[in-house]
Amino acid sequence: MTHYLSLYGLFLRQRFKILMEYRMNFLIGATSTIILQGASLLTITVVMSQIPHLNGWTLEAIFLIYGLITLAKSINHMFADNLWTIGGQYIRTGMFDRFLVRPVDPLFHLLADRFCHDGIGNFLVGSALVAYAWHALAIPLTVFNLIYLIVMVISGGLIFIALNLITAVSAFWVIESVPVTRAIFDNHLFAQYPLTIYPQAIGILLTWVIPYGFASFYPASYLLGQEVGLLAFLSPIVAIVLLSLSYRFWRFGLRHYAGTGS
Amino acid sequence: MVIQVENLSKIYRINQKTPGLGGALKSLFRPQYLDKVAVDGISFEVGQGEIVGYIGVNGAGKSTTIKMLTGILAPTTGSVRVLGRDPHQERVANAREIGAVFGQRTQLWWDLALIESLNMIGKLYDLPPAHYRDQLARFTEMLDLGEILHIPIRNMSLGQKMRAELAATLIHDPKVVYLDEPTIGLDLMVKEKIRAFIKQENRERGITVVLTTHDLGDIEELCQRVIMIDMGKVIYDGALQTIRDRFGKYRTITLELSAMLGTGDLDLLDDTEIEAIDGHKWRIRFDRTRTSASKVAAHVMNQVDVNDFSLTEPDLTGIVKQIYQGALNDIKVSTGELAQVTV
Ligand SMILES: Nc1ncnc2c1ncn2[C@@H]1O[C@H](COP(=O)(O)OP(=O)(O)OP(=O)(O)O)[C@@H](O)[C@H]1O
Ligand SMILES: [Mg+2]
Repeated sequence: MTHYLSLYGLFLRQRFKILMEYRMNFLIGATSTIILQGASLLTITVVMSQIPHLNGWTLEAIFLIYGLITLAKSINHMFADNLWTIGGQYIRTGMFDRFLVRPVDPLFHLLADRFCHDGIGNFLVGSALVAYAWHALAIPLTVFNLIYLIVMVISGGLIFIALNLITAVSAFWVIESVPVTRAIFDNHLFAQYPLTIYPQAIGILLTWVIPYGFASFYPASYLLGQEVGLLAFLSPIVAIVLLSLSYRFWRFGLRHYAGTGS
Repeated sequence: MVIQVENLSKIYRINQKTPGLGGALKSLFRPQYLDKVAVDGISFEVGQGEIVGYIGVNGAGKSTTIKMLTGILAPTTGSVRVLGRDPHQERVANAREIGAVFGQRTQLWWDLALIESLNMIGKLYDLPPAHYRDQLARFTEMLDLGEILHIPIRNMSLGQKMRAELAATLIHDPKVVYLDEPTIGLDLMVKEKIRAFIKQENRERGITVVLTTHDLGDIEELCQRVIMIDMGKVIYDGALQTIRDRFGKYRTITLELSAMLGTGDLDLLDDTEIEAIDGHKWRIRFDRTRTSASKVAAHVMNQVDVNDFSLTEPDLTGIVKQIYQGALNDIKVSTGELAQVTV
């Protein structure tokens, strides 16, 4: 474990060394996500200025939900972006074969190989949104609430990572896994808004099938004092169950890995 | 035995796609597979300190075998043991003991200076710092890394890259090394350097080497033993010398005659054949299992004065071509026959 941590630190240092070499790239990457996020936030604000309440949700409450999912997504973006590129960048090029002859877990190696700095912009936007909404909605700043927030954000990030891992495993059969990953990933867009504004089926889908709701809606509801029962505390369990399932599936896929010719 | 391979097979299952939406739907509900047998029931053993040449034509199954030996791929059937372990099941433990070079692919980080890549690899293998420094110093000298240590891989020539690659592959002191076409695309000077390095590591450290190559120079320089595969099957496993003796049946003697003669003017022994006549020079091919160079030469000298003569050693390229042709035309006979050649 400490070996893996120090290895991760080493990978991170090397990564930043390279990024600094391509400084323009780094800046563009980190700021472009902020600009993109700014554009969608502007849209929300404009829409909400027409209808001050969306099904009983104020603009600030929606910012809280939006901010929470942005934070969770940014964790996935920073630490697990290579789950998107495993087919094109690693399997096709033979780099994944290389991971398999090194004395570390290949999944760790894949993730550590590229910390994605574009996610930093998302992380900053998410933090700013949550801080703003927190203040505007006068959510009590207690130690418990802070710990709750941190646990929920990490759980949300792990839910993103687990779902991307499950779909990335398809790369072991079809090599290019991006369409499969995107088909599941895009459902997180629903979870940028309160699940109660959708038909019930979508709420169920986002809770029990593709549980992005646990990265945003349920924790936000709890912080806002809305009654969601046990669902307010389920995120870490959902994350752990999903992660262990996805890792098992990954191991299963690895046995079927055939690489590419030559 | 360092490597034990028993009845090993690999079948690639290739998803057959039919074009169009109908085809996509059909392949979703009733997938059509094509099974490609890449490795077909091979068995062999490799002892400690051996350098084995693993050869065959394109697509014969060499890389697939290497991938199973290194633990990258799981065998479809049969078993592999390397240093007593199953390389796929115990991949991490196996990885500590082996090194692998895959042709033109690099394991180094494209944008990092070589020294930084090597440091990373040292950490990945958790090498004690003192040991790492020793190895680095040794390789810097043997592979002439001094001038490229601070250059990123992306700026290296092919030859520099391959030297860097070898250092990266051997830095953790592996017991078994798999080299899949390590000299591909390199000029002779670099090839020589790499061959010398492999030889030295083998002699001084006792590393076991499995070497895949299309360059018979590599084989002649490094291997005493050759395993030849064709269409996934072992068609020869034995000493390089035996191949030479058995398949290098024909040799060519070149005689420089003192007079210009026509084809009919000279009587030749049975089992010989004129390959070419170039002025005074006659190139005569003979079957060395039935006659000998001295007999052929003596027979000619009895008829005409000979100023000079020379003998051409059998060329491995020619030999391999012969085996391939035999294997392709008449696989049953040649497999049976060849199997007996095993030493
Ligand atoms: N990942 C794969 N999926 C499907 N078929 C494959 C795969 N890898 C190799 N093959 C097929 O298996 C056979 C053996 O391939 P392999 O790469 O082992 O040959 P090789 O002896 O290394 O050839 P070369 O000398 O060209 O490197 C070939 O017919 C190849 O097309
Ligand atoms: Mg090959």
